[in-house]
Amino acid sequence: MIEKKKNKKVYKKGLNLLEAYPIKFSESVVFVKYDGPVDNFSFPFPDKKVEHIIVNLCPTEPWALPTRAILKNETPDFLNKLEAVRTEYFPDSHCHVVVNHQESSLVNEAERYKSQKDWLSIHTMEPVYPYDTPVLIVKNILGLDIAFGQNTIELGILLLDPQTITGIFEYYIQKNEFNTRLIPISGTGLNENKILKVRPGTPVERILETHVKAGIKYRVFLDGPLNGTEVEDLTQKIDWSVKNIVVLEERDYKTPFPYLKVNKLLFTTSLMGELRRCVYCNFCDDICPVNLEPALYWHCYTRGEKHKARLYALEKCIECGLCSFICPSKLELLHVIRECKS
Amino acid sequence: MKKTFKNIETIFNKSLNSIETFIQSHPKVNFLFGALFEAADGLIRSTKDTAKNPPFIRSSMDVKQYMGGILVALFFGWVVPAIYFYGFMCVVPKLIVSFVVGVFIVDVLWVILAREERINEGGFVTCLFIPAFLPPQVPLWLIGVGAGISILFRNILGGVGHNLVNPALFGRLMLTICFPTMVVSGWQEPFTGIPTIESLMYGVDAVTHATPLIVFKETGEVTSYLSLLFGASTGSLGETCRISLIITGIWLCKKRIANWRIPVAYLGSVFLFAALFYLILGKAMVPPMFQLLSGGLIFGAFFMATDPITTTYSQTGKWIFSIGCGFITVVIRNFSPIPEGVMYAILFMNLIGVPIQSIILKLKYRT
Repeated sequence: MIEKKKNKKVYKKGLNLLEAYPIKFSESVVFVKYDGPVDNFSFPFPDKKVEHIIVNLCPTEPWALPTRAILKNETPDFLNKLEAVRTEYFPDSHCHVVVNHQESSLVNEAERYKSQKDWLSIHTMEPVYPYDTPVLIVKNILGLDIAFGQNTIELGILLLDPQTITGIFEYYIQKNEFNTRLIPISGTGLNENKILKVRPGTPVERILETHVKAGIKYRVFLDGPLNGTEVEDLTQKIDWSVKNIVVLEERDYKTPFPYLKVNKLLFTTSLMGELRRCVYCNFCDDICPVNLEPALYWHCYTRGEKHKARLYALEKCIECGLCSFICPSKLELLHVIRECKS
Repeated sequence: MKKTFKNIETIFNKSLNSIETFIQSHPKVNFLFGALFEAADGLIRSTKDTAKNPPFIRSSMDVKQYMGGILVALFFGWVVPAIYFYGFMCVVPKLIVSFVVGVFIVDVLWVILAREERINEGGFVTCLFIPAFLPPQVPLWLIGVGAGISILFRNILGGVGHNLVNPALFGRLMLTICFPTMVVSGWQEPFTGIPTIESLMYGVDAVTHATPLIVFKETGEVTSYLSLLFGASTGSLGETCRISLIITGIWLCKKRIANWRIPVAYLGSVFLFAALFYLILGKAMVPPMFQLLSGGLIFGAFFMATDPITTTYSQTGKWIFSIGCGFITVVIRNFSPIPEGVMYAILFMNLIGVPIQSIILKLKYRT
């Protein structure tokens, strides 16, 4: 019964990935030793006046760093750091902290802290992908419409990653050494999902070395398989912007009776079916978080009328990739949308 | 148990692999049977394809599961009740003929001749539709002809994703044109009561009786709603047991395979228009509840009109599409000598769907 209740809301206007693909990370944080050259932390302070700071403590992707790893059950401590950063660098700004509405203890703690401060406001959000992308988070919290790809600094809005706040606090205010970053690694290509403490500058190869399952083909993605990038060259070094690493098993062989064991096959790079024509099933416009009809772009594209796609509000697309994810005909909708945009 | 299954699966997988390499290494064999093997293999095993463009994970739902859902719904929606009402020997030979002619002759020949990569599962759905909307006493060869025409028509248009009108309904339309008396006679009385082995095998003696809608046209008598709902009245093979069709139809809507807007708008508009005509023009019109529960309306609304490819893509268009279907159905039933109008309504609205879609788009994205 609980299962059924879950599935109800999973695919409505965005995808509740945390329920569809739950990932458990092991409790302990492992430090990855690396002796080579490392990048030092630096934060490019904006030269425009910042009016709003948005801190997202509600990751919507299961492979993202869970908030407990950053807060370590000391929420006021983290918010104190935020206050220090604010008073030091962005004195006239208003802070918006976004938390998951299901984590009631965190919400309560933050609300209690907030009652003494007037520069802070707490927002709750459903952890539905892709509600934490800049376009949607700014729209939900400040009610402002920004275009996809627009720099939020121009509007005086600064989006901060919780780890960056810790970084600014430690490095610029406390003048301590700050050269490690928490990176969660997860996926079917690994023995165990772990949170690693990594020095930026370490090659991906070195990080994954001991964790990858033996004897399988795998592919590595930075910032998640949905809208992240694939790592072609494993000697690539990670930098301060990398949020997480996902290693997926490459299932490039045929498996008999795939429809009988759906759950086993999930979370691999397999297409889970074959390429067909669009069957007008309306899955893509049901899941689209910004109310577009992605199949229309595909129809334009196959007819060779790329320019016509712009008529159907193409500029609103935030390239979250959910339409390609859900498509039962396995159309490359995200690829088509990017082609149409260019 | 699990282990033996796994072993069998591994052996099966390996043998399929070796057949595949054999076919691919012999060009002549490949020319004749390569496509056929690919097609059959596609029904058994998953594909090799992996995601090359972002996003790199994909949902496990594919067109095969989509069509499989419809097949399951149709099986429990009409095949199982029909076996109870008309007997095993009445239903199963029809299904066998439909599948053999439709899938194994026409589709396989098409795969070999046109060198298509695969047998589309849509064909199974079409073949499962054909016996459902023909009378129980229809000769087997007629079903074969219907399935052949439907699948051929479907393949000529290009299969799943290209259909302009519902191929199964098109086949039925061709049968109505070519054999007009055969598709409107032979309505057998269904079996009712506690089933025995004999009744499950052969049904009751072949007593024929006109369908409720024909009876209404001729005498103005209304059949009891309860017998209509549970299938104790005459009608086509698959459309009589409305309660099971409603349950499976709702299941399809819950699975999001059928779009809930279409049955809701279709049934709702039939009820509204029928009530309107009944209030204005009086007793000569078919009463609204009787309209809802008679003929192929429930079957059509849940299974035929919801065929996603032949409706419009836009959600608003789906409302207009189904309200149009409802209006035409009521008009045909009330004002024409033809007792049943669901087929004509859906076929006509399938064609109108294309302009509806483009007008809706123009209105929605007007700059």
